[in-house]
Amino acid sequence: MFDFGIKFALTLTQIAAVMGIVLLTVAILTLLERKVLSWMQDRMGPMEVGPYGILQPVADGLKLFFKEDIIPAGANRMMFMMAPVLSLVPALIGFAVIPFGPNWTVDFFGVEFKPFAISDINIGILYILAFTSIGAYGIILGGWSSNSKYSLLGGLRSAAQLISYELNVGLSIVGVLLLTGSLSMVEITEAQSGGFWNWFFFALPFPQAIAFVVFIISAVAETNRVPFDLPEAESELVAGFFTEYSGMRFAFFFLAEYANMILVSCVASVLFFGGWQAPLPILQGSGSMVWLTGIMWFTLKVYAFLFFFFWIRATLPRLRYDQLMRFGWKVLLPIAIGNIVVTSIFAYMFPGS
Amino acid sequence: MKFKEWIKTLTFYELLLGMKTTMSHLLRYRPITIQYPHEKKPLPENYRGMLALLKYDDETEKCVGCDLCEAACPSRVIRVVSAEVPGEPMKRYSKEYYMDMTRCLFCGLCVQACPVDALGMTREFEWAVYDKRNLHLDKQQLLAIGDRAFPVREKRIEFQHPNVAHFNVAFQRLPQKES
Repeated sequence: MFDFGIKFALTLTQIAAVMGIVLLTVAILTLLERKVLSWMQDRMGPMEVGPYGILQPVADGLKLFFKEDIIPAGANRMMFMMAPVLSLVPALIGFAVIPFGPNWTVDFFGVEFKPFAISDINIGILYILAFTSIGAYGIILGGWSSNSKYSLLGGLRSAAQLISYELNVGLSIVGVLLLTGSLSMVEITEAQSGGFWNWFFFALPFPQAIAFVVFIISAVAETNRVPFDLPEAESELVAGFFTEYSGMRFAFFFLAEYANMILVSCVASVLFFGGWQAPLPILQGSGSMVWLTGIMWFTLKVYAFLFFFFWIRATLPRLRYDQLMRFGWKVLLPIAIGNIVVTSIFAYMFPGS
Repeated sequence: MKFKEWIKTLTFYELLLGMKTTMSHLLRYRPITIQYPHEKKPLPENYRGMLALLKYDDETEKCVGCDLCEAACPSRVIRVVSAEVPGEPMKRYSKEYYMDMTRCLFCGLCVQACPVDALGMTREFEWAVYDKRNLHLDKQQLLAIGDRAFPVREKRIEFQHPNVAHFNVAFQRLPQKES
């Protein structure tokens, strides 16, 4: 019982730490996105709140917190109030299986726990895919329950888009799973240790670069970001599925979108770029320094992906709906399946390399 | 030719080209933003801003209440109530002078129409107000705008040129023309 208590407390602490870091990262991202976007467009971005506008997330948060929470007439109140939560929780829950650092077990008052992964379950990546799919419900229900044509159109678009692109995400990571022989995020990271040539993006039997391209495109589509931001297309649908939302509920959708972005970046760096592994063994350090460099490299990779998302947003215009569907089903899906076939052949011919 | 385009499509050539452009803008960061309340763009020489009523250098109003500005105004901004100066039967002035700046389109026709140059256009433009009624200006407000926008005032026309006839005998309270 005492053991269970300690275990429980430790897990709660881990969860609190991870949630805190994720929400802090979301706050940073909201500023960083506006800043990077405006720098790329020869603007300055927010400059008023604090020096160079660095307190803008605080101001945004305060504003959203104190805003009136409007529920439109004719909306399905229950669904309307549930949808933001349904969208935020799956986005945050996925971080449970992400390994942020080396796979150590620490003995704490007779209880063993892993400090850098909340839980190392053997179906980690499947778990993330399952919960991100549930996040789609939040968007669809939010669009449907608002009793507004724009919201409904956004929700419907997102339904079709998420279904078709989740397929590509699932298929593009199969190559990695074939090479690792495991669904556990920790084991996938472990399999890529010892330098960047072992990362699955470059790994020898069959480099998963094509799978990575498919994955990252589908990931952008799954997080509803430009150029696949059809569910919230500003120029067509006001704000898409969260047109009718305001105040904290709107903030929940916002948080969910950014948390999803971080999650997808984490998954991409774990699956294809070795997670917390340094590109060269020298840069990893040794002994007790490994966890520090590990977290550093992980953060670096995740932020690189997030920057890539911003970069893409600053560059590309939105796709048309039929283009989106054609691209998803006729281009990405065959490529992903072809990648699976070729990777299986290579994994069969060169086992254990 | 076809093959080349295929290669371009497969390597995301166009996308990378666009991303190179945005990245070059990020690296050579030269914003064109002017941080408005803190720094302001220089206004052009002939900028037509807020309207104002002017005075002569002896603190007397220039306006003679002729209503020509009211007649010239295309959007009926101005309303003049003209009256005789008490005790000076030949001299008129504007007893009341109203401007509805919500309608003004800053064409400057009233300034051109004024025979005594009693109207001026200042370079003020920051006239955002919370209540539209604050833009209905009366004579005192317009004179105040003129006071702060045109600190250097003209002499009376009679004194500007020594050869102008001192014809208006009704100006009793004026200092005599020096000769």
